[in-house]
Amino acid sequence: MQLVIASGKGGVGKSTVTASLLYLLKDEYRFVAVDADADAPNLDLLLGVERWEEERELVGAKVARINTESCIRCGICQERCPYDCIKVIDGDYVVSELTCEGCNVCGLVCPVPGTISLDEVRSGVVRKTTTRYGFPLISAQLDVGRPNSGKLVTEEKEWAKKLMGELGLKHMIVDSAAGIGCQVIASIGGADLTILVAEPTPASLSDVQRAYKVVQHFRQPAYLIINKADFNPGFTKLREWAEAGGIPILGEIPYDRAIPRSMSMLKPFVEAFPDSKAADAMREIAERVKEEILK
Amino acid sequence: MQIAVSGGKGGTGKSTVAINLAIALRERYDLVLADLDVEAPNDHLLLGVELANEEPVELFMPRFDYQKCTRCRKCAEVCEEHAIITMRDGTPFLMPNLCSGCAACEIVCPVPGAILPGKKLMGHTYLTETPYGFPLVTGRLLEGEERAMPIVSRAKKRAQGLEKELLMVDTAAGTSNTVSKALEDSRLIIAVTEPTPLGIHDGELILKLAKLMDIPAMVVVNRSDLGDVAKVREIAGRYGAEVIAEIPYSENIIRSYVEGRPIVLTDYPEAELFREIASRVVEFLGGGE
Repeated sequence: MQLVIASGKGGVGKSTVTASLLYLLKDEYRFVAVDADADAPNLDLLLGVERWEEERELVGAKVARINTESCIRCGICQERCPYDCIKVIDGDYVVSELTCEGCNVCGLVCPVPGTISLDEVRSGVVRKTTTRYGFPLISAQLDVGRPNSGKLVTEEKEWAKKLMGELGLKHMIVDSAAGIGCQVIASIGGADLTILVAEPTPASLSDVQRAYKVVQHFRQPAYLIINKADFNPGFTKLREWAEAGGIPILGEIPYDRAIPRSMSMLKPFVEAFPDSKAADAMREIAERVKEEILK
Repeated sequence: MQIAVSGGKGGTGKSTVAINLAIALRERYDLVLADLDVEAPNDHLLLGVELANEEPVELFMPRFDYQKCTRCRKCAEVCEEHAIITMRDGTPFLMPNLCSGCAACEIVCPVPGAILPGKKLMGHTYLTETPYGFPLVTGRLLEGEERAMPIVSRAKKRAQGLEKELLMVDTAAGTSNTVSKALEDSRLIIAVTEPTPLGIHDGELILKLAKLMDIPAMVVVNRSDLGDVAKVREIAGRYGAEVIAEIPYSENIIRSYVEGRPIVLTDYPEAELFREIASRVVEFLGGGE
């Protein structure tokens, strides 16, 4: 089974909840964890990973380059670039490597053959380790300024699938990126179900509703975990939205200082502070995940 | 001129800093705030306004006229996204989700009119008046669409078109090329981070990007009592950036957020912190006199 944890909004506790869930499932279930937030991966930090066993460079991103020697400075490339990535610097036309999407339109419209080339560049690394808890983790890190490619996530999931075959693992648990863009779509596409994490604020509600639309697009079931549940008592719209939409609520985690403290210790909060209120709530959630989802 | 609020990690308080800073700066500059976190735009919610003046962002999408198409496959060969597949006889088909709308296929097609300019809706931009005396431009990607870049690019253009004295952009989390697009042309980046190991890790990446783009950065540490600010200072120093404010974890900030009243306009002591950030920015930009 492939299970995804998503949230829409960043910073609502998706990775924190994922790390604790993985910790609570590790003894009974055989799974591979995937950190699909290639832009800002941090599941490895929360799981105390110190070294990677294997790293693969991912060369796939493309950027256009203009040869200033043969360039006749006609400006057609700049005019036609769909994303305004070509600037004139000291009289030369230059492609901004940090914003280019690699579509090659500039190369196609350039009247001087060979002046604009499309070069392959590194987009990031995909890497694997075995956590101190025994389960493997696949993670990735996009290089700064690269197209935020879902391809990196697809690459991670393929590696994870291979590991499942080799090690006889039953489940893949994917911690998705924030937002609803290509990385999230690559995470949710092909999965069996999504667990959404949200907090009771208008911003989180708005973002989780958008993430839910992506889940619906793939016709998958969704569940909800409410984090920092007591942090805004007057705000009931999150719960009402879930109930009206038939999205089962797996549980509510209260705001608890134990969580930020556990983050500084680089440990899942259920491990660092097993007696905290948040840990109690998380254990109940894990039980429901076992009974209703993993069965 | 333009400045940007960014921060690497999601949920560090970028939008909170952006809206409060905009409110504090409106007395010194005629400004516009642009929310370029198009996957999860929230500035309007924090400002308590409903998005208005919607404009669609549409991308070119090829439509094939199979009467005219000569099955030469050039369109499929040129497509960097592999969005066009061809049948055995060369008949092209589009997989709309993969199409980036770049129109490369149309450029190489040798038969005029064989590729017609279809359109695909990717999202919207909005221009909303706020009760705080400055307009807000918002980009919003449609759910199910993958490509944030066209929305970021169009929303930024819409904000630039207002020709205000100051354009303040609020970026998405991370350091992908859509963040670089938002940061481009900024005179200053305010990097909002947290002193947790996660915040520090992601905060370092945004400072790295600022350095690559040759844009000066200042660091605001949010929830500063939840970790090791000295560590943030050390890393900021390595990138030539100064920590200009430390905002402790604050019930008042949450309360003001819940009440829809920006903290900088309240009597809470935290309001002063945002005014100080604003005066540091004014000092740096040398404006407002």
